[in-house]
Amino acid sequence: MTNSQHAGSLPSTMTQEEKKSLVERFMKYVNRGQVRYLRAGHLDVVETRRSGVRFVDPLPGRPMFDCFSSAGCFNVGRGNPEIIEALDRAADELDMGEWNLLSAEKVAFARKLIDLAPGDLNRILFAAGGGDAVDAAMKMARGATGKSRILSTVKAYHGHTGFALSANGKEHYRNYCEPLMPGFDFVPFNDLEAMKNAVDDDTAAIVVEPVQGEAGIFVGSDEYLQGLREICNDSGILLIFDEIQTGFGRTGKLFACQWSGVVPDILTVAKSLGGGVYPNASVLYRGDGPLGAFVDAHPRFHPSATGGSDLGCRVSSAVLDFIVEHRLWENAEQRGKRFREALLELKRQNPKIIKDVRGIGLMVGIEYIHEFLGPMMADALAKHGVFAAYSGNAPQVMRFMAPITISEEELEELIDAIGLALRDMKTLLPLALPAAKIPALLQLLNSETVQTRLFGALRSVEDVFKALTDPFKGSRS
Amino acid sequence: MTQNPNTNAETFESACESLFGSGILGEMQRTGRAFFESKRGKNSFEDETGREVLDWFNGAGIYNLGRRNAELADALKQAAHETDQGNFPMISMEKAALAEALARFLPGDLECSVFSVVRGEALEFACKVARGATGRRKLLSLEGAWHGQTGFALSLSTRADATLYGPLIPETQALSPDTQQAFLDAIDTQTAAVIVEPIQVENHCRALDPEWLGKLQKRCRNMGALLIVDETQTGFGRSGEKFAFLESGLEPDVLILGEALGGGMFPIAATVITQEVNRFMNEHPMIHLSTFGGSDIGCRVALKALELYESEKPWDKARDAGCFLEKDLEDLQKKHAKTLLSVQGSGGVFSLEFADEAAADEFVRRAAQEGILLTTGEVAKNTVVLRPPLNLDESERKRAIDMLDTVFDTMKTGKETE
Repeated sequence: MTNSQHAGSLPSTMTQEEKKSLVERFMKYVNRGQVRYLRAGHLDVVETRRSGVRFVDPLPGRPMFDCFSSAGCFNVGRGNPEIIEALDRAADELDMGEWNLLSAEKVAFARKLIDLAPGDLNRILFAAGGGDAVDAAMKMARGATGKSRILSTVKAYHGHTGFALSANGKEHYRNYCEPLMPGFDFVPFNDLEAMKNAVDDDTAAIVVEPVQGEAGIFVGSDEYLQGLREICNDSGILLIFDEIQTGFGRTGKLFACQWSGVVPDILTVAKSLGGGVYPNASVLYRGDGPLGAFVDAHPRFHPSATGGSDLGCRVSSAVLDFIVEHRLWENAEQRGKRFREALLELKRQNPKIIKDVRGIGLMVGIEYIHEFLGPMMADALAKHGVFAAYSGNAPQVMRFMAPITISEEELEELIDAIGLALRDMKTLLPLALPAAKIPALLQLLNSETVQTRLFGALRSVEDVFKALTDPFKGSRS
Repeated sequence: MTQNPNTNAETFESACESLFGSGILGEMQRTGRAFFESKRGKNSFEDETGREVLDWFNGAGIYNLGRRNAELADALKQAAHETDQGNFPMISMEKAALAEALARFLPGDLECSVFSVVRGEALEFACKVARGATGRRKLLSLEGAWHGQTGFALSLSTRADATLYGPLIPETQALSPDTQQAFLDAIDTQTAAVIVEPIQVENHCRALDPEWLGKLQKRCRNMGALLIVDETQTGFGRSGEKFAFLESGLEPDVLILGEALGGGMFPIAATVITQEVNRFMNEHPMIHLSTFGGSDIGCRVALKALELYESEKPWDKARDAGCFLEKDLEDLQKKHAKTLLSVQGSGGVFSLEFADEAAADEFVRRAAQEGILLTTGEVAKNTVVLRPPLNLDESERKRAIDMLDTVFDTMKTGKETE
């Protein structure tokens, strides 16, 4: 199922000077701190050609397994020819369209998505991206119930717009933007009793990711999700599932909620709906009952200037067709099972590095013993052609979310590369692990700022050494 | 009873109602939009029956380079074959190139870009970075403002339904610009930012007094508050200037650009900030992320759009056409003075004032039936906003004015368009 390389004119290599010039421009016109942060974890690679489960890092011209997938956007693979073809054809006839009109494209996509939606979710609202979808969902929930409290979960990640950020369970993202919306509370994930205790008469909605992604890959148990449904049913509370990362086959089912059989009242989707090429997002909701009544009474409550564009709907329709035709969720389940087994074996071999392996389908997390091992491991993996990011909300956890088109052979290559990276780590550990035994030093190593500076400095030393020893420095490899 | 221009009304009605709900269907029918947008023309589109509709909505300021601009379409196609959206946190050639081009395209110290997928998201970031960079909390906007649908945007906009969505972002306040000194006095050392639209398009194209804006700028500087300018609807030539703020001599610390950046071929918006403001983001780089914002494909399309904006200078055309259009609208106002109470605007955005919301709704519905797409103002609901193509030529203008004239006539007689 590997996608064939698409014909691009992008160079597959880049000289040191070209990269330096690019990085300088990026630092000046976008963000200097971002480069510093990325550099610490060897995530400061550039993507040129993109194909299937890989992209090319042009310096030194090395194909990299994409295990980040832009946080789960590339379910259909990168540069998927069928999706590109759909966009190419659409661009011959269409533009984004008028956001206050309907079109055949919008209707065809909406119907296709609703036909695939879990349970009786029978209505749709278009949104521009994940944050926009979450904000719309929460406006809808507060509007439909006339209540204000929204219960989210600790370490939850729902996006960066006003409502979504207010529901974000990690202070790191919220601190500098406070005060955010009142009425949002955070309850430990997978803890049904805590949620029961948190509910009151003013609760409009409970919002959860069926599998917490950014938090470090925590799978919501069937009992937990079923219990949330019961709490909501008993108390007239709306249940919102954020499936922005988990949707469209990632977990081994088309939607993660299908594992537990729980149908939420509102379901937000985004990311992989755009096929990695064209943004689109949606809010699916139950038209019968308070939500439908609210939207009917307030049809203009959340129009989106770019969500559900005609071009986007053509692409998303092609994405849904591709996923269904290839039953990608089955591939995610089978490959995911093998992947987790292999990682558990690596955990047994590396108990001083890996603390836990968890996940579902091809949404897999490796938790390291210490936070500082996240950036170190990212660096080691990059050297073996694997691009994997540690979680923003939990740096000790590395997310593996390769395109779910990954073949058996590709997966074995990936597993081998991870094994090699762990072998390299073992050579560094005699230095790092004793240091970690000193509590003050561990605290320092686990600080994001220190990691960024320390590992960034180590990368610089490494580069200088490489430059001195590389007779071909500056030339294309 | 509302006549439906759609010959296949059953299909539209059943599709719209079953997928989006009866409220949205009702809204479509009430405003004459119960048809499918189909084939694209240069400044118009056809519905599913082949009826041509002139587009004078233009995505509320998106299609400043015309509908389905062929050069942008080619740029999109090429980009789709060569790249994809990219991994959002990574260093990208496309992001760097677009951000650099924007720095050159914009005046003053606006040099650093953070990209978004929709206008509201760009505004959310503007508010967040203002709080972060100043270490202050208070955000001030102007009464009559319309900034978008997401959390901060909603909190800072003037909308009757805001109370439906529970307690919004605290320490946000919309003040009336009418009491000019009181507004200035409200900006103090606790103020993170003041956010303004140079022209409140949704509020009967209310343009702010340039002299007062100068005082506002000065007061912000004196108090250490940032000035955020929202050019979502007015930017890239819509106001008849490259950007509306240029006319009033403002020097924003934060500039919000809408999806005109992608010219209607790709959803991309941006928040452009000064190096000074970006110091905060350099210290805290990963606190605001956008998966779809600054997609590599989107950046390529926007780069092409910037090239076209530079070469075509649609603001020049809009300013010229706007002068004639203003005259035509004044004539219409004289002719239909009982219905059309006033006209405001310039360049490529005008607003017509009616006695009440029902009259504005009726005008929009009849206009759509006549073959011209318009919308009512979101804040001043008794207004109708005209957003003509910026490259409007004389014959198109006359045709549109004739249509509007007919709509006023039919409003008087009550006769429905066949």
